[in-house]
Amino acid sequence: MRRRRQQAGVGGAVLGRIDWMTFCLFLGLAVIGWMMIFSVSYEEYRQLGPSGFLSTSAGKQAIWLGICGGIFAFIMLFDHKFWQTFAYPVYAFSMLMLVLVLFLGTNIKGATSWFSFGGFSFQPSELAKFGTCLGVSAFLSAYSTDLRNARAQLTVLGLLLVPMLLILLQPDAGSALVFTSFLVVLFRQGLSSTYYIVGGLSIMLLILGLVFPPLPIMIALALLGTAVLAYQLPAQYKGYALGGVAVLGAGSYFLYGLDYGWHVLGALAVAFLVAAFAAYQNRNGRLAFLLAIFLLAGSGLAYAASYGFNQVLKPHQQDRINVWLQPEKCDERGSLYNLAQSKTAIGSGGLEGKGFLNGTMTKLNYVPEQSTDFIFCTIGEEQGFIGAMGIVVLFLLLMLRITVLAERQRSAFARNYAYCVAGIVFIHVFINIGMTMGLMPIIGIPLPLISKGGSSLLGFTLMIAVLLKMDKHRMRA
Amino acid sequence: MDIKNEVLYRVYFLLFGIVVPASLALVYRTVEITVFEGSRWRAEGEKRYLDYRTVEADRGNILAADGNLLATSIPYFDLYFDAKAAPDEVFEANLDTLAHCLAYYVLEDYTVGGAREYLVSLREGNNRYVPLRQKVSYAEKKFIESFPLFRMGRNRGGFIAEKRSERKRPFGILAQRTIGYVREGAKPVGLEGAYDEALGGQPGQQLMICVDPSKDLWMPVDDLTVIEPESGNDIKTTIDLDIQDITEQALSRAVNVHDAEWGTALVMEVETGAVRAIANLGRTKQGWWETYNHAVGTATEPGSTFKAASVLAMLEDGYLALDDSIRVFEGRAEFYEEVMEDASPYSYRLDSVSLREAFEISSNVGIAKAVEQFYGEKNRRNGNEGAARFIRRLKQFNLHQPVGIEIEGEANPYIKEAYSEEDYWSGTTLPWMSIGYELELTPLQLLTFYNAVANNGKMMKPYMVSAVERNGQVEEQFYPTVLNRRIASKEAVRQLQELLLAVVENEQGTAHKLQAAEYRFAGKTGTAQVNYKKGPRGNSIGGHQASFVGYFPAESPKYSCIVVINKPRRGGFYGGDVAGPVFREIADNIYRAKPQLHPVLNMGAELALDEGSLPGFSLGDPADFRSLMEQLEIRPYGEPETDVSVLRPKGDSLMIEPRTLPEDVVPSVVGLGLRDALSVLENRGLKVSVEGVGKVARQSIKPGTSIRGQQIKLYLR
Repeated sequence: MRRRRQQAGVGGAVLGRIDWMTFCLFLGLAVIGWMMIFSVSYEEYRQLGPSGFLSTSAGKQAIWLGICGGIFAFIMLFDHKFWQTFAYPVYAFSMLMLVLVLFLGTNIKGATSWFSFGGFSFQPSELAKFGTCLGVSAFLSAYSTDLRNARAQLTVLGLLLVPMLLILLQPDAGSALVFTSFLVVLFRQGLSSTYYIVGGLSIMLLILGLVFPPLPIMIALALLGTAVLAYQLPAQYKGYALGGVAVLGAGSYFLYGLDYGWHVLGALAVAFLVAAFAAYQNRNGRLAFLLAIFLLAGSGLAYAASYGFNQVLKPHQQDRINVWLQPEKCDERGSLYNLAQSKTAIGSGGLEGKGFLNGTMTKLNYVPEQSTDFIFCTIGEEQGFIGAMGIVVLFLLLMLRITVLAERQRSAFARNYAYCVAGIVFIHVFINIGMTMGLMPIIGIPLPLISKGGSSLLGFTLMIAVLLKMDKHRMRA
Repeated sequence: MDIKNEVLYRVYFLLFGIVVPASLALVYRTVEITVFEGSRWRAEGEKRYLDYRTVEADRGNILAADGNLLATSIPYFDLYFDAKAAPDEVFEANLDTLAHCLAYYVLEDYTVGGAREYLVSLREGNNRYVPLRQKVSYAEKKFIESFPLFRMGRNRGGFIAEKRSERKRPFGILAQRTIGYVREGAKPVGLEGAYDEALGGQPGQQLMICVDPSKDLWMPVDDLTVIEPESGNDIKTTIDLDIQDITEQALSRAVNVHDAEWGTALVMEVETGAVRAIANLGRTKQGWWETYNHAVGTATEPGSTFKAASVLAMLEDGYLALDDSIRVFEGRAEFYEEVMEDASPYSYRLDSVSLREAFEISSNVGIAKAVEQFYGEKNRRNGNEGAARFIRRLKQFNLHQPVGIEIEGEANPYIKEAYSEEDYWSGTTLPWMSIGYELELTPLQLLTFYNAVANNGKMMKPYMVSAVERNGQVEEQFYPTVLNRRIASKEAVRQLQELLLAVVENEQGTAHKLQAAEYRFAGKTGTAQVNYKKGPRGNSIGGHQASFVGYFPAESPKYSCIVVINKPRRGGFYGGDVAGPVFREIADNIYRAKPQLHPVLNMGAELALDEGSLPGFSLGDPADFRSLMEQLEIRPYGEPETDVSVLRPKGDSLMIEPRTLPEDVVPSVVGLGLRDALSVLENRGLKVSVEGVGKVARQSIKPGTSIRGQQIKLYLR
């Protein structure tokens, strides 16, 4: 049903039939973000006074907010079909910017990620996120694309790897990592779960390899494999076999403690081969074969993780991983310092926080990058548990709402695009907030719409504005 | 599974398998940090990272009597740099100039390029509190603060200057020990210690942020000072810098010449008890230094200088007159098998001498026998008190009590109680006490006694601090305090003064060779054996302590002074040879430095003035005449308001008469001084040139000529 409504002027054209919930969440987060930046940079404001406001951090952010407001309005008035039609050119343009920044960009803090002009600087990787959203959506929504065939899979992989590699050249590992969020839309579009399972297991084994030495992991894997095979045996042997595995496990644990690790591994390898033979006898050879591959690959991964950690990574990189996975091993005043500061700031806010502008730790440059990557600390300190929780809930609502928008789209392009956006928002929020609380390793990516920085704000404005515009016209797709 | 359902499951999995659990993980973690661990993080935040720390107040000064600084706190600054404070564009815009300035003035090991690289590396590093330079003066800090970037201050420029202060003694080791110090972990010493509270002020509090917990580095947070520290008060001492310098130099020479263990010299103002100088020098591996305040803290057996007290006791009791004869047994006597000998060769030929002579030559036997005679046994004459009467007299002279000087560590005097078993009183105690053994006094305590003798029996409490001041205003004034209004009868004190003068002025006196030509002084030598009990009866085993105590000028004593030289190893050991010359040097130099001690030359009847003897008929400025006569203590008549006046004798004074000069014609200035003549002529618009010196004898333009701004020449003679 199409309702005819008198739309009054430009305001109506911009905001009419918009998804109000998404828009309010978007605007609310941006305003909260600006207030937090103002609070962090309050000292600057006090020194420069109202006349110098525009040269403070908050002032610059306000200018960016204005620019983004303009862009939002422009997109609302612009033809919604443009994005689908010109998805690839936009993608190509954003990739070109990534190439150019490597040659023309300014090196700040060791990374050539920025174009600088007249006091403002712009990070093309933020634009690349938007461009990639369009490119990937366009490819996935093409009739010829079938994610079940390898060609399509490789094409998508290529679309993602180009920006990732270009960004890694800057180098900016955090922003490159963001592109893994496209796994979300691929999953929605039916990419085989096997990839995810294998990938998930691999990541698990890698992480285990970072925490434990390879030998106990291999022992555990061998035991697990033997147990699975024993479980598959016919009922009359099953009990004995499982009992044997349990005895083996206990013995392994005991002997491993006595420094007989390699002997234990050897014994378990023999046990596994025996079990594999038994399985083969019981027509279960395929399972045994797959398990053997899994065990070998798993051992290899664990060993590679351990080797890479100890031999390849530099001490400060090792520290970062240790801070994440084994904080108890870290020096509270050394590598753990930033995280401890961050947690202290969040924790010191208590339930209700110290109040707007009253956060001392975040105001005193106490927390690293407190107006950008660690802005969540300011929220925690000044707005307390309630404020921090509020931010998490607002982002959760935003992601759920984007998913709802996605599923109500008629056009495949718009739906895919919405999932891309949801994935990007998700990975940013989870990593950023997670890292301030030690849940994730410290990776420098901004909190969407809240962190200081015009490029990031612009990138997310583009993403959400285009989404809202397409949603506005979903009936006419 | 059909395709639609699979899509649905996949969406649900994304939402409820990933997004929601991830959000829950974040929520849980937030709860954990803010609620479960909240109190811990809050405590961490407030205690370890941000704290109110005390800010030391500026310590007050210690001033000499004339207001010179003896000890003061010199502020200095430690400079730090926070390379991350400035925004990128500001940092980059200022980087080159700053590097240039730093390389030239601060980081002198760096080239300009090196300094630039260093700054860039600081900006990339993590330390936000990099020491630039320590201990710079205020002027240097001001200069460095004017560098580009630095001049933007702490928050935008990252320049951090922290004020500290350092205790300085502008006069170096002068009175070092007496001024003392207050240091962490050490016992406070001297005036710094005694007046620590007044000097210290009130420490303030400031919000500080911990920038490096591993090094416990704290950085003050600007504008958030809570309690300003209140600076300490100044202490005005009685120390006279001139006298202190004289005293230290004399003592220093002596301890070096005689290679002494330690020496001390004290100068006190007779009338008030104000300590004008106090010097102590002790032997260290690097020569002699003020390491311990012996004058206050070391009580020793004084030896012969104590005889003054013994004699005063006998004089007070009226047992003896100065010319009464007492026995000296040719300089050797036994008391209960203990042998006492005289050091003076005079007594070897004599069996008895007058009390005066015995004191002059410092006869041990003479004084000891006399004291033994009068106090040795209880009889009617001493009111059946015996030795107790002698001890009572000593207590009457306040010799048993500390004098209560302000600084810490005054040693207690030790005077045995009569017949006290606890004090091991024996038959030999009384005779040996009478010559200054078996008892202990500090140099300060002994000097206080002699000072009372000089002050005609009025004992003043020695003191070193005359006022507590704040910004030059007196907060608390300390006045001279009387310890004992009269330690003995006037006559007894006068007799003792006579004896002390005789020591110096009579030919046989032990200090005769010290006599000075310009002024008279009185005093007593002392040569005490140190650790005599340990040696097998030798003189030199334990060494000696040479001393001299006295006062000057003898007629109206102004200063008393004691000099003690402990264990001299070279150049004799007698008080008259070792300590006496130091006293003499101190007295000489004080006498020369203080003209007010000199006898008045024009003493006598007031001048009789009459018109014949008074000068007159001088021309000049009436104000000049008045101020001149004020100095001459003549009261002139007349108070003219003219520029020029003439002086005329009138009765026993002078009349200042007005002399009016015409305004419109050239006046006569003959007889005026040049200054007055110039002012008169130039006020009338004439151009003056001058020849010769003296008063105006002739002028080139006749008086009465009308004025047209002419050139006038004055001839002076």
